[in-house]
Amino acid sequence: MATTHARAAARLMISPSVILLLGWMLIPLCMTLYFSVLRYNLLMPGDTPFAGIENYQYFLTDPAFTTALINTLVLVVGVLVVTIVGGTLLALLLDQPMWASGIWRILVIAPFFVMPTVSALVWKNMFMNPVNGLFAHLFKALGLAPFDFLAQAPLLSIIGIVSWQWLPFATLILLTAMQSLDSEQIEAAEMDGAGALSRFRYITIPHLGRAATVVILIETIFLLSVFAEILVTTNGGPGNASTNLTYLIYAESLLRFDVGVGSAGGVVAIILANIVAIFLMRAIGKNLDA
Amino acid sequence: MGHISLNKVRKAFGDVEVIPPLDLQINDGEFVVFVGPSGCGKSTLLRLIAGLEDVSSGEIEIDGRPSAELPPAKRGLAMVFQSYALYPHMSVRKNIAFPMKMAGVSAEEQERRIAAAASALNLTDYLDRKPGQLSGGQRQRVAIGRAIVREPAAFLFDEPLSNLDAALRVGMRLEISELHKRLATTMIYVTHDQVEAMTMADKIVVLRAGRIEQVGAPLELYENPRNLFVAGFIGSPRMNFIEGPEAAHHNAHTMGIRPEHIDVSATQGQWQGRIGVAEHLGSDTYFHVHDTGLAETITVRASGEVALRHGDTVFLTPQADKIHRFNNEGLKQ
Repeated sequence: MATTHARAAARLMISPSVILLLGWMLIPLCMTLYFSVLRYNLLMPGDTPFAGIENYQYFLTDPAFTTALINTLVLVVGVLVVTIVGGTLLALLLDQPMWASGIWRILVIAPFFVMPTVSALVWKNMFMNPVNGLFAHLFKALGLAPFDFLAQAPLLSIIGIVSWQWLPFATLILLTAMQSLDSEQIEAAEMDGAGALSRFRYITIPHLGRAATVVILIETIFLLSVFAEILVTTNGGPGNASTNLTYLIYAESLLRFDVGVGSAGGVVAIILANIVAIFLMRAIGKNLDA
Repeated sequence: MGHISLNKVRKAFGDVEVIPPLDLQINDGEFVVFVGPSGCGKSTLLRLIAGLEDVSSGEIEIDGRPSAELPPAKRGLAMVFQSYALYPHMSVRKNIAFPMKMAGVSAEEQERRIAAAASALNLTDYLDRKPGQLSGGQRQRVAIGRAIVREPAAFLFDEPLSNLDAALRVGMRLEISELHKRLATTMIYVTHDQVEAMTMADKIVVLRAGRIEQVGAPLELYENPRNLFVAGFIGSPRMNFIEGPEAAHHNAHTMGIRPEHIDVSATQGQWQGRIGVAEHLGSDTYFHVHDTGLAETITVRASGEVALRHGDTVFLTPQADKIHRFNNEGLKQ
């Protein structure tokens, strides 16, 4: 059936979507690249002369850049550790036969449906507020001074908020993986003399490897670009204690109105994200092979 | 070592009694096959012995030691599962080593036992492969290897050959029989295939609905079935049952005659019928004979090739000394 004629027709048919998708991707990318080599500041309208690599130099030598880079990595790794470990434990719990397990599962999955801005606001005002927050009340009830989470430990607080959002996703994927474990394997291990801990260590955890890899890869993509939670809670501060790369780019282009430096930051972020992706695939990609 | 005795063992899931109280003795070195139709409780019985299910009441003694309350690992039994249950992320070597690792066997001893098991099971070339890279028969052998290295008091096999194709099944059947001869360890083997039971067993336990219908050596069950169920289950093709006046003529409520104990003739005999399907295998010929007025179909097995075809009239004569007589409760008279 696949005659030259039919193939040509097929290409013609799919070309509008391909062109649209390519344009959607390539035009912004090219414009970012273009803006990144211009001196383009919205506070100085009119002239946008060619600036060469000046924007890159400025962005990369900015002391905030190193801090933002480290913060980004800490945020990603921190949330990954919390969600994978917590997700495994929660999945283990939800996998047990218990009363109304359907309701428990829905409750555990619920945070995933709360949009980031809302959840960050809820956490900021209902839980972490040093005057009215539930944690403040809890501390006071215990006779302790309230802890100002977002001022004292901003990055850790954000890791907490983002982990809360991503825990359901990790739990869900790991739970389905756990349920797909062949019960005869567990029984065989039991016959072979493995106790509950050994069975978990030697049978369950290796079985979860592939699912955990999927969780890590997908979460990393989203965690590299965490933004709303930071904007709503700390605005990247105090200082730049909770500024990540995404927030730094936002600050350059929309707070300092420097489109050129912002674009350069965007290009740097793309390159860094690709480095992370290559590193991740090297490290854990083999888990995905059957 | 490997004497297992079940004493009034009973198993119920909620209100459903799967195994009513049951007694059974399994002697050291015996190859015992549990056989029965699906859902008869044979796998449950094996899992009770293994310790993967808890008995509802009764006692299991393994080598004289009360074991009903012991966890599976402490019973000194090894099991080969229907799905093999190999650990997919471990190499063959690590799979076989796993029970020894759990038992804290020294590294040299592990290596020695792995080498011995691998050479006995023709696995030496595959030790570094993962289970996913092996064929069905090889996986089966790895599962057996994993059982052997534990040097158990008894091996438990849960329908181990049902996932293999027919040719491989015959080969593995022989291998397991040879293994039993070599190790002389007690083996308990669950199957629904009566051919496996007849060929491998020292002792067959026929189960129906959790009850033991008969225990005995294969030929004993073949020659002297205790009731209609055993008579119908053991032997292939199954025994012909005839009721009514013809049975009464032989002083029985039901008379049974095996297909191989009926003589076929084109000219004369006791019963007359018409051949339905004729299966010519070369070594044997099976006739499904209709219109005898005795039963809907009488199956006959004739040795060698017999030149009778579909639709031919045929005369059958049962061998008088091979007739089984059952009373109206289905028990052998």
